[in-house]
Amino acid sequence: MLSRRALIAQLPVVGLAGSYAIRAFAADKTVTIGINLPFTGADAHDAQLIKEGAMLAFDDANAKGGAGGYKINVMQLDDGTATAGQYDPAQAATNARKMVADDSVVAAIGPQMSGSGKAMAPILSQGNLATITPSSTNPDITDPKFASTYMPAGKAIYFRTVTTDAFQGPNMANYMADTLKIKSVYILDDSGAYGVGLANAYEAQAKKRGINVMGHDQLDPKEADYTTILTKIKSMNPDALYYGGVAQAGVKVVKQSYDIMPKMIRAGGDGVYGAEILKGGGFPAAEGLYATIAAPDLLANPDAESFIKAFAAKYGEQPENYSITAYDAALVIIDAIERIAKSGKPVDRNSMRDAIQDSHAKTLQGAVSFDKNGDITSRVVSVFQITHDPKFPDDDVLHQYKYIGVAPATA
Amino acid sequence: MIKRATATIRQGSIGGEAFGFLRRASPVQLIPLHLRPHVGTALAFAFALTFPLLIDRNDADIDSAANALAFASLALGLNIVVGFAGLLDLGYAAFFAIGAYTYGVLASAQLMPAWSGFWEPFQWLHLVARVHQDSGDLVHFTVSFWLMLPLSAAVAALFGILFGAPTLRLKGDYLAIVTLGFGEIVPIVVRNWPSVTNGAMGLNGVAAPQLFGYSFGVTAMPYYYVGVGMVALLIFTSTRLKFSRIGRAWMAIREDEIAAAAMGVDRVKFKLLAFAIGAAFAGATGTYFVAKLQTATPEMFMFPVSVMILVMIVFGGIGSVWGVVLGAIILQVLQSWFLEDLSQWLHALGRLIHVEWLQHVELASSIELIFGVILVFMMLYRRQGLIPATRRVQALSLSEQTAQVELAAAPPVKRLRVLGDATYRGPDPLLEIKDLTVRFGGLVALRSVGLTVPAHSVVAVIGPNGSGKSTLFNTVTGLVAADSGSVHFAGHPIRGLAPHVVLGRGMARTFQNIRLFPNLTVLENVMVGMHARLHTGPVGALLRLPGTRREEREAREHCLEILSLFGNRLIPRADHVVSSLSYANRRRVEIARALASNPKLLLLDEPTAGMNPAETLELAQQIKSLHEHGLAIVLIEHKLDVVVSLADNVVVLDHGEKIAEGTPDVVRRDEEVIRAYLGRSAAVA
Amino acid sequence: MGWEAVYLQQVINGLSLGAMYALLALGFTLVYGILELINFAHFNVFMISSFIGMMALELFGLSGQTHVLTGLPLAGVMIFAFIATMLGAGVIGVVIERFALRPLRGIPGTVGMITTIGVSYILFNIVLLTEGAGSFNFPNPMPRVSWPIGGATLELRELLIWGVALVLMVALHLFVNKTRLGKAMRATAQDSEAARMMGVDVDRVIVMAFFLGSALAGAAALIFGLYYNYTSFIIGYTAGLRAFTAAVLGGIGSVTGAMVGGIIIGLIEALGGQLIAVRWTDVIIFSILVLVLVFAPTGLMGRANPTKS
Repeated sequence: MLSRRALIAQLPVVGLAGSYAIRAFAADKTVTIGINLPFTGADAHDAQLIKEGAMLAFDDANAKGGAGGYKINVMQLDDGTATAGQYDPAQAATNARKMVADDSVVAAIGPQMSGSGKAMAPILSQGNLATITPSSTNPDITDPKFASTYMPAGKAIYFRTVTTDAFQGPNMANYMADTLKIKSVYILDDSGAYGVGLANAYEAQAKKRGINVMGHDQLDPKEADYTTILTKIKSMNPDALYYGGVAQAGVKVVKQSYDIMPKMIRAGGDGVYGAEILKGGGFPAAEGLYATIAAPDLLANPDAESFIKAFAAKYGEQPENYSITAYDAALVIIDAIERIAKSGKPVDRNSMRDAIQDSHAKTLQGAVSFDKNGDITSRVVSVFQITHDPKFPDDDVLHQYKYIGVAPATA
Repeated sequence: MIKRATATIRQGSIGGEAFGFLRRASPVQLIPLHLRPHVGTALAFAFALTFPLLIDRNDADIDSAANALAFASLALGLNIVVGFAGLLDLGYAAFFAIGAYTYGVLASAQLMPAWSGFWEPFQWLHLVARVHQDSGDLVHFTVSFWLMLPLSAAVAALFGILFGAPTLRLKGDYLAIVTLGFGEIVPIVVRNWPSVTNGAMGLNGVAAPQLFGYSFGVTAMPYYYVGVGMVALLIFTSTRLKFSRIGRAWMAIREDEIAAAAMGVDRVKFKLLAFAIGAAFAGATGTYFVAKLQTATPEMFMFPVSVMILVMIVFGGIGSVWGVVLGAIILQVLQSWFLEDLSQWLHALGRLIHVEWLQHVELASSIELIFGVILVFMMLYRRQGLIPATRRVQALSLSEQTAQVELAAAPPVKRLRVLGDATYRGPDPLLEIKDLTVRFGGLVALRSVGLTVPAHSVVAVIGPNGSGKSTLFNTVTGLVAADSGSVHFAGHPIRGLAPHVVLGRGMARTFQNIRLFPNLTVLENVMVGMHARLHTGPVGALLRLPGTRREEREAREHCLEILSLFGNRLIPRADHVVSSLSYANRRRVEIARALASNPKLLLLDEPTAGMNPAETLELAQQIKSLHEHGLAIVLIEHKLDVVVSLADNVVVLDHGEKIAEGTPDVVRRDEEVIRAYLGRSAAVA
Repeated sequence: MGWEAVYLQQVINGLSLGAMYALLALGFTLVYGILELINFAHFNVFMISSFIGMMALELFGLSGQTHVLTGLPLAGVMIFAFIATMLGAGVIGVVIERFALRPLRGIPGTVGMITTIGVSYILFNIVLLTEGAGSFNFPNPMPRVSWPIGGATLELRELLIWGVALVLMVALHLFVNKTRLGKAMRATAQDSEAARMMGVDVDRVIVMAFFLGSALAGAAALIFGLYYNYTSFIIGYTAGLRAFTAAVLGGIGSVTGAMVGGIIIGLIEALGGQLIAVRWTDVIIFSILVLVLVFAPTGLMGRANPTKS
């Protein structure tokens, strides 16, 4: 029986120089890591930044002779399609099968979006192939309540180097109640799975803390004009505005809220932490915005600055926070390979899954370890505020976001 | 002669369109002509069945193929709406979403109402299960995938009718915009209704299908075979519908809505039917898709999905069943398989020939651009798509063209018997118009016009251009609403009735500017004329039971006999598309189409316009013989010699008013007529 | 803010939105009036024009909103930016007509519309591939000046939108009604066959309609950028659909109708968001679209009838 690849290989020229020829690394010990991100469609640029974050770690490892002697090959898969115009869960499921079907793939990074994650997790679980997502934060996938759906084989395979929306939103609600002393808030989200989840988790905790939630509305991220809702919010005069969502709508919220109520306390999650907000929002509109990340402060770690320099030098652009979590995910994988290699066991899916499960890898966000569901155990949520420092470029994330402190976890 | 034509036409029944191109290949010629389509279908099906083995059971590739099959199903559904009925739907993904969520909500833990006695019968039917919880028992829906497949189709069909109903009066572009609106609204409602759909977070844990206690799980293979079965069934359904009374009615609407209505097609009913069936395909596909993915989010059903399905059918061939399947599969497989490989090959090629930019081409990110280019390119250069829906029939050979025209001036009486008993014998006049007034804004098109057509008579309506003759026809046949007055046909009031009802009463017409269905064949055009006399419904068309077969066969033979009334002018061209015919032949086809409805009264709007004197004479004699057979005829005609030779009575209109009436001789001498009619037309000329 | 002030503010917001929709709606109406074609490419001609406008402003070294100009320099930069953007947009419109639509002239049905969807996709992806998916901080050299009125705030940029929209619409009105070419356009819209017989160069008229419609979209794109200080590759779709709804509401084919429809849609969007919730804005607007098409297909002041075939 001919495989499809073999059929293709019989075509002239292209067969000889086919994709497998490229991957045929010279080293005798190699492992393949799958990277599944939406390189087609609306999120393509973010996907590229995430991939570059991970590649930086893998390239470094390979340059040093591989992880524990293993050369790391990458199988890049695109779960974005023109049909969907963005990430496509059906394609994500296909890609999960592609990775599972290829025995050389021992672990994976991705997906970017929880919608894809929901389609991939059951398949990865059956294949016992661990993946580490640098950005998908929907809590359902690792919720024990849905274990029969997302980990039917019983073991965690969906690991995250970000914490879920179940912590980021509520901790920020605590911070706003305790430190900013706000009494009332209006909540907006961007209609996406991430934004809605974050905003809902925030809302629930804000109510518990006695903050008056004056309203919660959803924005169409493709719409340009939010003056209507912002004027409405202005008339209600809440103490603060909380936004759950990514930069696409976030940029417009930042700009237009500044135009309409320049003194309002504005806060958001990791969706408004990044170069995109600084570049698109600009100053003075972005000034004073609070943002959180689901990780410890990066500046606390001296490696972070060298990472950002190396990233900018190699790819000619600033990393986003998910580039960092992707870099961390890659470090976790490299660390796992090294530990297995040291123990003398073969590097395969089973050993990789177990090694990732037991990870204490040193990363930019400190030592990363996972609980039995795959969630990151460190649930530190760091708060930043944008404070314009004209000495640095306007879109320099490291210098324009000022670290404020840790948002208190719910007791 | 007739038999030969029937034989050539019959081969076009199933799948004939798809494998027409095979005919030129030599080994294929060994296969008997009428079997070729079946051989082609069988080969395609055999390939589909063995495909997983051919690719070494690679789970990912099988999964890609299963996704492609889902899109093929969607393309088949959209093809019914856009390809067959000509209704451009830009919100088709809405039905996909409705089907997906109908199953998704009922097969996941999304809805869990409190348990009560109400649910007990459902539990007995295995539709729900009782979940014990400390806070009180809950209902868990466990509806079977196999049951939901048709049920989701039905739900989607219902929404198809709901969304279709307001759009029925709108023409092409506007209809597209309204459907686009529905396509936007559905995902918004799904997103804003979290209690049922879990909103933007998406559904969790949608149950996989089970068969004999075995769950399909996450392996792609069983889904692939369900997909093959589904596509096969939908191809079968599409083909059966296309080559039936239903399909002809749809295509008639697509080609010319007004003419379709005038030929007895109930536009409302058949447009809604197209919407409903198209939506049903999408609904079933949605169920299949969400069962396979085991999750669904509102973002999976946005505008780009609708556009992509449209690109697929445009690429494959609008209206062509096998074409759209091929288009969907090629584009879907291109995305999920080949683009990455292709990029890699280009990079390798770039290194090989030292071309820098080739090494950085990323085709995956430019695929939307590629699809935009495909759309524009296909529209500009190959509108019929990869596999055209209309078969090209070779033009007649020289000998056939120059064959002795069988003298058809007066068809033998025995041939006219095909028209049945066309004579009206009631007590009232066949057509009686009184005080008919029609206004268009400020313009009075008809002012208190009266006209009586006794049974078995020929009445000619003459008058200068713009005098209201065609408006009179349009009003009588229900295409234009009258402001006042009455119209009685065979003693019954018909004013205000829809055109297709008027036709059903026994009044058929032709149009001044010939309104045939240009992309249908001569025979199909005439068979549309029989629409009101046939009874096959969608179920009949699908099952094609002996009764339906008989009806179809008899209709075909009947129409061929009607064509033979025009000697051998039309018979050799029976399966040519009418747009390839000469002007005079198109006029003849239009009259044949009207005759096929078995009318008692024939309204002919300038039937000899554009014909040379010999052809005019031939047609006049044919009309005369129709009259002699018993038909009553109302004739709008400019050629006075034709009027004189045919008409019993002449009515003269000018500026929407009747200025004279009488026998041809009387009217010809009328001073006012000469001044109004001849005087002005001479001046215009 | 008292409730009167809130509503006054929403009316000001709505009028600004409406002015943009009106300019964009004119492009749909001009083309539809003559070709009976809904031009989907118009959505992204608008989008691509905002990038042209941004480049025009960047020629003067402007970026962000911190670089403020006043007086003659401001007027000079603005006039240059408007002319450059409108010309650029107009040329794109003409190119689309010439290469994608003229070969299809006279082919009935929805072929033309499907082609414009394809063109729209192409424009969209050209910007996506060259400029990226991010948001852009649109340069704006205007000083931030505002006046309080009745508890609400009226800003300079709002006056700019209304002023530009008004001037362009009056200019278009005069052009269509007073000039030879404008009269030829109206004649072609009424009956292109008759116009052709009377010696009107119909091809020229169609090119003119595309040029004017696209140039107006260019103006709309520039004031969009200046109003929101923002642009991105995604702005065409939602704004385009709303503008199309405005054209239908006003009566497609009617220049005055497009203006009135634009204002009404802008007000509905602002007040609907205030009274109901912005999550339902699209549903409200599409419901209006469907209701108008079904129950009053000629719109407020249109003559073209969408049910006629």
